[in-house]
Amino acid sequence: MQLKNDATRYGLVAQVLHWAVVALIILQFVLANRADALPLSPAKISLLATHKSIGITLMALVVLRLIWRGFNVVPRDPPGIPRWQQLAARATHLALYALLLATPLVGWLMSSARNFPVSWFGVVTLPDFIEPSTTAFEALQSAHGFMAQTLLVLALLHVAAALKHHFIDRDNVLRRMLPVKLK
Amino acid sequence: MSTALRRHALHALFASAAVLTAMLAYAATQWSLQPATSQLGFIGEQAGAKFEGRFEKFTADIRFDPNALDTSAFDIKIDTASVNTRDAERDGIIRGADLFNVKGFPQAHYVTDSFTARGGNKFTANGKLTLRGVTRPVPIEFTFESATGGAWLKGSAKLKRLDFGVGQGDWKDTATVGNDVQVTFALQLKGN
Repeated sequence: MQLKNDATRYGLVAQVLHWAVVALIILQFVLANRADALPLSPAKISLLATHKSIGITLMALVVLRLIWRGFNVVPRDPPGIPRWQQLAARATHLALYALLLATPLVGWLMSSARNFPVSWFGVVTLPDFIEPSTTAFEALQSAHGFMAQTLLVLALLHVAAALKHHFIDRDNVLRRMLPVKLK
Repeated sequence: MSTALRRHALHALFASAAVLTAMLAYAATQWSLQPATSQLGFIGEQAGAKFEGRFEKFTADIRFDPNALDTSAFDIKIDTASVNTRDAERDGIIRGADLFNVKGFPQAHYVTDSFTARGGNKFTANGKLTLRGVTRPVPIEFTFESATGGAWLKGSAKLKRLDFGVGQGDWKDTATVGNDVQVTFALQLKGN
């Protein structure tokens, strides 16, 4: 398969980045839910440390995706899609990108606000852009949770739309993001 | 008064003056700690990232003179329950039985045995720290900076928390919570 996108499909680089983000996001929800169920303990600190490291990795992957997108054509939509669906898809994609960047960023700030600075896999410690503060922590924690839930809802909408295209419209919208032959 | 007696009196006077001068010259200054501007804190490590905490309540009996190290001494008492890492949940855990156990050991205590000059205004205090019922030698490296009407004592010490049993049960794990802890301080002193 080609590395770069063309007018009909996503290339290997865009596909790998897309599915890596999918896998890591699922892992993020699993880690967050497991950590939430634990009292403050080495096990919880360890789970959250992995969650934070993956979150920072996600930010980097999304930045890479956007840069790569800038150097590629975006495959064309199949003909005959209603205008409102095109606009809805564009808005959802935009919101997904925004949340994929903002959710980890708010998580990072939230860690600083609680004076649990973030280390990326023990390799590098990230700077704290805000001072420890209980008020700030609580606000950022609510925002982080709300953003994650919104991200989940939009991702499910995104999945539903892809499945609708595949099984009802029987077009190439899902196939073009998979290493399979187009119809 | 006889000549002999006068000589005796004179000797006695000179002798006491000499002793007094010696005392003034060689007794280390007794300082008084300025709690509002002084800080005693620590740097720990969680999940590979350092975090800072401090003690809100401590006393420091400081007798120190760079030229009279023999008679200098520190006696520092720390209220372990006054630990503040800017997170209530973590502070609660640190005060708990597995870490500081503040109910059993409400006070940490540091007492110096001797001092070593390291050139300039740098010194090492050789002393012992008692924390959570365990007493171990902990050297402190510090600087002594004279200021108008007083002085600043700034420095740090390195210790391993598990040497003092700070970390029982799950908290013995040093992969998540580092064993190395750096204690830092900046004490403002006023002359009496």
